[in-house]
Amino acid sequence: MRVRVRYRKQGRLRFVSAIDVGRLWERALRRADLPIAYSEGFSPHPKVSFTDALTLGYASTGEYAELTFAAPVELSRDIAALNAAFPEGMDVLTAVHTPDGAPRFSKALAASCWDVEYPVGAVLDHAVQQVASAATLVVPRERKGEAVDVDIRPAIADISADGPRVRVTVHHIDHLPDDVAVAIRPSEVDLALRRFQPDLAQPVLVTRLAQGRPGPDGLVEALSGELVEPLQTQRQTT
Amino acid sequence: MTATATFPSIWPQLEPVLTSVRKPARYVGGEGNVVRKDHAETDSRWLLVYPDAYEVGQPNQGVQILYEVLNERPTTVAERGYAPWPDMEAVMRDQQIPFFSLENHLPLRAFDVVAFSLAAEVGYTNLLNCLDLGGIPLRAADRSAGDPVVMIGGHAAFNPEPLAPFVDVVCAGDGEEFVLEVDLVIKRGREQGWDRDRLLAEIGQVDGAYIPSWYEPEYNAPSGGDDTMGTLRGTFPRRSGAPYRVAKRTVSDLDSWPYPKRSIVPLTETVHERYSVEIFRGCTRGCRFCQAGMITRPVRERSAATVKQMVADGVANTGFEEVGLLSLSSADHSEILGMCGDLADSYEGTATSLSLPSTRVDAFNVTLADELARNGRRTGLTFAPEAGTERMRRVINKMVSEADMLRTAETAFANGWRHIKLYFMIGLPTETDEDVLGIAELGLKVLEIGRQHGRKNKVTVSVGGFVPKPHTPFQWAAQDSAEQIERKLDLIRRRVARDRNLNLRYHHGKPGVVEGLLARGDRRVAEVVQRAFALGARFDGWDEWFDYDTWMTAADEVGVDVAWFTRRERGEDEVFAWDHLDSGLEKDWLYSDWRDAVDDQAELEDCRWTPCYDCGVCPGLDLQHQTGHLPIFSAGTRPIP
Repeated sequence: MRVRVRYRKQGRLRFVSAIDVGRLWERALRRADLPIAYSEGFSPHPKVSFTDALTLGYASTGEYAELTFAAPVELSRDIAALNAAFPEGMDVLTAVHTPDGAPRFSKALAASCWDVEYPVGAVLDHAVQQVASAATLVVPRERKGEAVDVDIRPAIADISADGPRVRVTVHHIDHLPDDVAVAIRPSEVDLALRRFQPDLAQPVLVTRLAQGRPGPDGLVEALSGELVEPLQTQRQTT
Repeated sequence: MTATATFPSIWPQLEPVLTSVRKPARYVGGEGNVVRKDHAETDSRWLLVYPDAYEVGQPNQGVQILYEVLNERPTTVAERGYAPWPDMEAVMRDQQIPFFSLENHLPLRAFDVVAFSLAAEVGYTNLLNCLDLGGIPLRAADRSAGDPVVMIGGHAAFNPEPLAPFVDVVCAGDGEEFVLEVDLVIKRGREQGWDRDRLLAEIGQVDGAYIPSWYEPEYNAPSGGDDTMGTLRGTFPRRSGAPYRVAKRTVSDLDSWPYPKRSIVPLTETVHERYSVEIFRGCTRGCRFCQAGMITRPVRERSAATVKQMVADGVANTGFEEVGLLSLSSADHSEILGMCGDLADSYEGTATSLSLPSTRVDAFNVTLADELARNGRRTGLTFAPEAGTERMRRVINKMVSEADMLRTAETAFANGWRHIKLYFMIGLPTETDEDVLGIAELGLKVLEIGRQHGRKNKVTVSVGGFVPKPHTPFQWAAQDSAEQIERKLDLIRRRVARDRNLNLRYHHGKPGVVEGLLARGDRRVAEVVQRAFALGARFDGWDEWFDYDTWMTAADEVGVDVAWFTRRERGEDEVFAWDHLDSGLEKDWLYSDWRDAVDDQAELEDCRWTPCYDCGVCPGLDLQHQTGHLPIFSAGTRPIP
């Protein structure tokens, strides 16, 4: 029996690495006494598979994992027990049974929607407009010790702003056509914004809001179907 | 004391810099089972510090126990702190972030007591760094009303003199009862507005408290030749009421102190990720090099029933995958086989694994290990023969014959264990090259047995240089120089070099010299510690940070002859810098045991099942062993006191 979950990782847990998050899951599952399945072999591990790792320091309300249980679980009750066992800052927000024959979880996670918060007072409307209307956005990157130029524009599905906050939806690399496939990070969007607004201060907080499919009205969250809409101010001005 | 000063959390300063340092999860707190209290609702505040990196210090049992014991008192708060890694120290100094606690991220100065747990000497410069980053004077004499009381405890604190000028209070022995009593004094002091002198005077009345500033060492003039420093004449009380000797604290009934109950579960990887329970405290095996076994006497067992209950609760409320049954020689618990069997039954078929560190060399231990590894994993077993030849083992009173060792190896490999680790020391008193090479020979013999059971079976031989420690029969011994240790390591290395399945691991000689200086140093060595700290010494237990030259330069500058402290064999009548801390052991007995070792290679049996040999601890502390082993005193062999 498999279960797909969306969980959050916020507050102090922003500074906990992806490997350590795996351990937190293991322990919480044991503390909550849930019948998680274990892998076979010399050193058995609970069957929890994570999607892409979040950069250290970023917050998220849009992390995902798939759990395999050895016995049936009752979602509402057992997820509450799991949440009670997690450290402060981590909670499962949505949990659904994986339908039989469902395609791999990563197929449903086509894009991430991020909020990048700059210090109070910053206004990014102009820079965001420039990024949105640019045909290409070439940023430098290091690849195997060599500097290369990468065009990140094709990976940006949508970008909007509201005062000091920027909301950007980026396509995941395996959901982009091969010729423009590139995995981009919020820090590179920041770099692009900086090109149009050089005096921009460093972001205070980067949060992944959700993952799912990008649509015309915003990101459709993978498990609940909820819509994560672009920020309004920017939409009105464009 | 400043009862009223309030300090804001340093979290707003810390948060923005966390992504610029390595492993930031070490600094955020928020772990499972952490206790967070509002300081405004408490009237005494403790900061418990383990002066090493978080991943080393967090699993420490001592800190965990005191943390729970203190926090169970509703009006007391205890928080934790660990030494910042050098990259973090640089950021803290640059951003003026003071040394802080993990629970509420409060600066060191927000606490009434800062208590350091000292498992080893190599944390001393980190201790100074924590005080310095905390913004309080390094020297106790320079502190004033607003500064917290700086306290140390733990095994290394049994010779506190190299830290004497920096600490206000030393706890000798077990800390559980001690901290609770000191806590009451702190509360009274705050309530009544005592000044620092009065507060220390009252803390000094607590049994086990040593106040270094009340004592003054006097030295004899150097007698010429190798005696460059002059021996100690004595450490004398300079204040009325200060006792000539401070007796250690001993918790007599471990069942009434069932801690830890709710171990902190770290957010990031540490060196021991397990729920650990001490199955007994103390050891009377009588290994002559072993400070832990000497200063923690007598043996106090925790009952199997209590252990089982603690493990059941501990696993349930931590989610740890592993349980460690700790002690100095775990197989010696009188109920060990039943205890291990019952635990193995309870956890058979689950993902919970059990481990039994610190076992002695005999086939019984393999039986125990088999029992604990029922779930199937039989990777490595560790044994500590400590020396390579039977003669050498008689000197150190590690009563293991070669036949024992080989029979143990045979049983282990035959039962499916694939890797045996053996721990040894070099630089022991009376050691010859033959003894040193005996280490390699024994390792190879064990490997040969392993081969008969599987081509890929492995042996790891781990070798460290011996450092004489206070309160042991070997406290009179000369320590090998770094060069001697390196030469002996080379002998072993050359002997085992050709065998791929024998893995040799070793510690170099230089760190041991500094450890030896700090272990048997007197108050003059405190100047070296402070100077080394000023010259940048930090994390002296870490190869990547330890710098021998810094220490030698520091010693030179303050006029301390390192060789005098480390290389010199002490005479029978020499006064030691730790003589006024009473571990319960009679110095006469220690000396006769030392002579037995080097003159006659005479062995001494464990007094749990043979007659008392009058080490002094039980009558001195008015205690007895608390074990389930049958007392043999009825045989009439015990001398009548």
